[in-house]
Amino acid sequence: MAVLYVLIPLALVLAGAGVLAFRWAVRSGQFDDVETPALRMLIDEEGMLTNDDRASTRS
Amino acid sequence: MSEARTHTVTISAPLAPETPCVHCGLPVGPRPVLATSEGDSLPSAFCCTGCRVVSEALGAAGLGETYYRLRGVATSTRTVSPGGERPAKSDALQLAELDTEAFLAQHTTEAAEGLRRTQLFLDGVHCAACVWLVERLPFEMDGVAEAVLDLPRARLSLTFDAEAVQLSEVGRWLARFGYAARPMRTEASGQRTEAERKLLVRLGVAWALAGNVMLLAFAFYAGLDAEADATMAAFARWVSLALAIPAVAYGAAPFFQRAWASTRLAWRARDPRRLHIDTPIALGIGVGTLHSAWATVSGQGEVWFDSITVLIAALLTARWLQLRSRRLAGDASERLLSLLPSMVRRVSDSGETVVARLDELARGETVEVPAGEVIPVDGIVTRGESQLNNAVLTGESRPVPVAQGDAIEAGATNLVTPLHVRVEATGEATRVGRLLKWVRDEEGRKARVVLLADRLSGYFALSVLSLAALTAVVWTFLGTPSVAAQHVVALLVITCPCAIGMATPLAMAVAAGRAARGGIFLKSDAATQRLTEADTLVLDKTGTLTEGRMTLVETVAAEGVAAAAALDLAAVLEADVVHPIATALVAARGCPGQRAEGVEAEAGQGVRGIVDGHAVVVGRPSWVWAQRGEASQASADAALADAVERFAEAGHTPVAIALDGQLAAVCAIGDRLRDDALAVLRTLDAAGLTIYLCSGDHPAAVAAVARTLGIPTERAHGGVAPEAKRAAVEALQAEGQVVVMVGDGVNDAAALRAADVGVAVGGGSTASLVAADVFLTRPGLAPLAEAFAGTRHTLGVVRRNLGISLVYNVGGAAAAMLGLVTPLVAAVAMPISSLLVVASSILQRSFPNEPGNGRAGEPAHSVSPTPRLAVS
Repeated sequence: MAVLYVLIPLALVLAGAGVLAFRWAVRSGQFDDVETPALRMLIDEEGMLTNDDRASTRS
Repeated sequence: MSEARTHTVTISAPLAPETPCVHCGLPVGPRPVLATSEGDSLPSAFCCTGCRVVSEALGAAGLGETYYRLRGVATSTRTVSPGGERPAKSDALQLAELDTEAFLAQHTTEAAEGLRRTQLFLDGVHCAACVWLVERLPFEMDGVAEAVLDLPRARLSLTFDAEAVQLSEVGRWLARFGYAARPMRTEASGQRTEAERKLLVRLGVAWALAGNVMLLAFAFYAGLDAEADATMAAFARWVSLALAIPAVAYGAAPFFQRAWASTRLAWRARDPRRLHIDTPIALGIGVGTLHSAWATVSGQGEVWFDSITVLIAALLTARWLQLRSRRLAGDASERLLSLLPSMVRRVSDSGETVVARLDELARGETVEVPAGEVIPVDGIVTRGESQLNNAVLTGESRPVPVAQGDAIEAGATNLVTPLHVRVEATGEATRVGRLLKWVRDEEGRKARVVLLADRLSGYFALSVLSLAALTAVVWTFLGTPSVAAQHVVALLVITCPCAIGMATPLAMAVAAGRAARGGIFLKSDAATQRLTEADTLVLDKTGTLTEGRMTLVETVAAEGVAAAAALDLAAVLEADVVHPIATALVAARGCPGQRAEGVEAEAGQGVRGIVDGHAVVVGRPSWVWAQRGEASQASADAALADAVERFAEAGHTPVAIALDGQLAAVCAIGDRLRDDALAVLRTLDAAGLTIYLCSGDHPAAVAAVARTLGIPTERAHGGVAPEAKRAAVEALQAEGQVVVMVGDGVNDAAALRAADVGVAVGGGSTASLVAADVFLTRPGLAPLAEAFAGTRHTLGVVRRNLGISLVYNVGGAAAAMLGLVTPLVAAVAMPISSLLVVASSILQRSFPNEPGNGRAGEPAHSVSPTPRLAVS
């Protein structure tokens, strides 16, 4: 089980890296607005709806 | 809208009034505005000219197709639209402010080289299409480097080159599509974002530490034997200790700070009931950590690191959710902090008009106020004669005539002709400014409402401490002091009120979120709780019980005259007149499309002109009477005169219409009661609330409304000044009543702040939103009744949560005193109690969102994607 003496510190280093990454993400404002980016992915010049979809939304 | 060129046509084929408007999707109503694009067989129907203009602008810019494809996709239901039903309006003066040096210096920050960044509030954004359209800015305008829209908060971050583009141009581009850009004036929302980010980082760190401590603890639970592998066990404990120290010192720091503050407060007051819920939490965390640390160092005894770190992370999560659920409400009140114009038109000695900042203005200078703009200062009229709408100040919706020499107040709207005003007071020195200042100063001073959980926590802390003492004594007697210490620590850790600490914030956060979806914004937990304790309701009249604008209430036509025809002719005559009565007539009849000739207006009296070959006179009955020709029949006159008298008694403004020298009709123009007013008041009355009516409007009009709504006359007061409203609320409070004040104008702001709970309704004015504890963005009074019912339900959930927590704590305490609680038991039992509270909060049914209910709560523009007529 001696490997644990290496693995546990390694896990902690990974967790620390995760925390740092999270801190960076929060500070750069990525969590300030979690709703608009979800819409932004729909916005694309090629469009998300096909022509058929579009026709069906019209009367 | 692929074709830019469209032209208006009139077609005879009637269109169903419920046909959705091509642009906004609302029903077009009886008088749609029609437009045909070339190569299109069907005309497009719009609800109003505004929608047609926006739609054509989109087409002309080649943006229409994508816009309408994205429209209705993921329509935001929570965007706060302070204007209520009114469409966003951009003000030329407000845009001018964006270009000033002072604005650039104060409100923009240096971005990359040569670029500046600023944030603007953007009214009128509501769905994916808006995001797309607004974020096209960099492609459409040179000099704009980046445009990022935060849809729920309606904020636009703009990175631009101040040399290449002026912000006012950006504002005008946005205005073409119906978005009103407003400068963000306050720092508060920036501070809130900062606080939220800090808490989120704390939360992330707390969970990362808790997760790792948990992993190590699992090794022990899974059978790591401290005797068989002493080195490994010691290593695991030391690592846990190392992880727990930052979790307690950094993650739990806010709990310790608040616990310390409340302990000092309770000590000074000699009242243990003052103890905050964070006190027992901090006690549990502190004792558990110290004991575990000692156990690690000495190598003997139990460690509780896993329970403690998870507890900290869970509590921080609840607090963060709570903070997040409040931010929409906070943002909205801030967005509206631009009631008074910050730019004015200064008239120099040479008679030129220059746009200047309000704060540069000195007393004695003269400003010009064109028709339709808000008076920026308190002052004396030096030139011009006009009518003012004082509704914001007094709640009186009838226009007030002003002439040279009259004193006027900032906040009123100039209605008819331009005025020159000599400045007497600006900014905070004006009457409105003073009122707003009072509201702001009062913000921190409002007596803190003791929340249910806090009321409990004092007793809770006391009983835990006495149980701990009892345990220590009994176990020292039965066993050894070290066994006693073990059990005391177990007791303090297991009864650490995690579930109690989460019970209120979680239930309130979930309720606030659900309420916001229905257009009800609860600014604080205290307001939510207070609303359920209220026994007195004070209502404003104008804009609260009534619609707050002049509408056609009733028409009586002379014999042989079709009322509709007479009204149509009157509407045509009034089409170009800026006056609430004219607006009401035009709004009632739509715009028939004809034009009047030879229109002559007599200030304060009426208008006459030729429409369709008829000589039409519309105006004050006495004036129209005097104008009528010889042919007028005496009997018809008498009938109409009766009607005039009846209208005046009911508090409406009578307007007479004469056609070709003959009296044709009289109509009542007034502020109509909201359709749901009576039903809602009945519900609230049945709920045991005593209802008062308190309005700045004419006492006769107030009495008429009170009669209609069945409010006893002694509880209906008219002609009440803003300061008197506040006094009235305070007088009721002095009688020991918990007062809810409902209002919408600046005149209500002080009363809203003074009341136990202030409720601002229907996209009210800036000041009322800032002063209120609760505000309703949905038109009508139904949300008021919902707010009462919803908060009552929410408090039920809070009580249920507290009940669950207490049962857990009593059980835990009993087990700990019997010596049955080990770290493993705590690690299992603590999360279960918290999970129960989380489930109970999330599954609550307060503020139900029935189909149709949520819809109505959205700003008028966001209606579900409906089949569209001829969009091509």
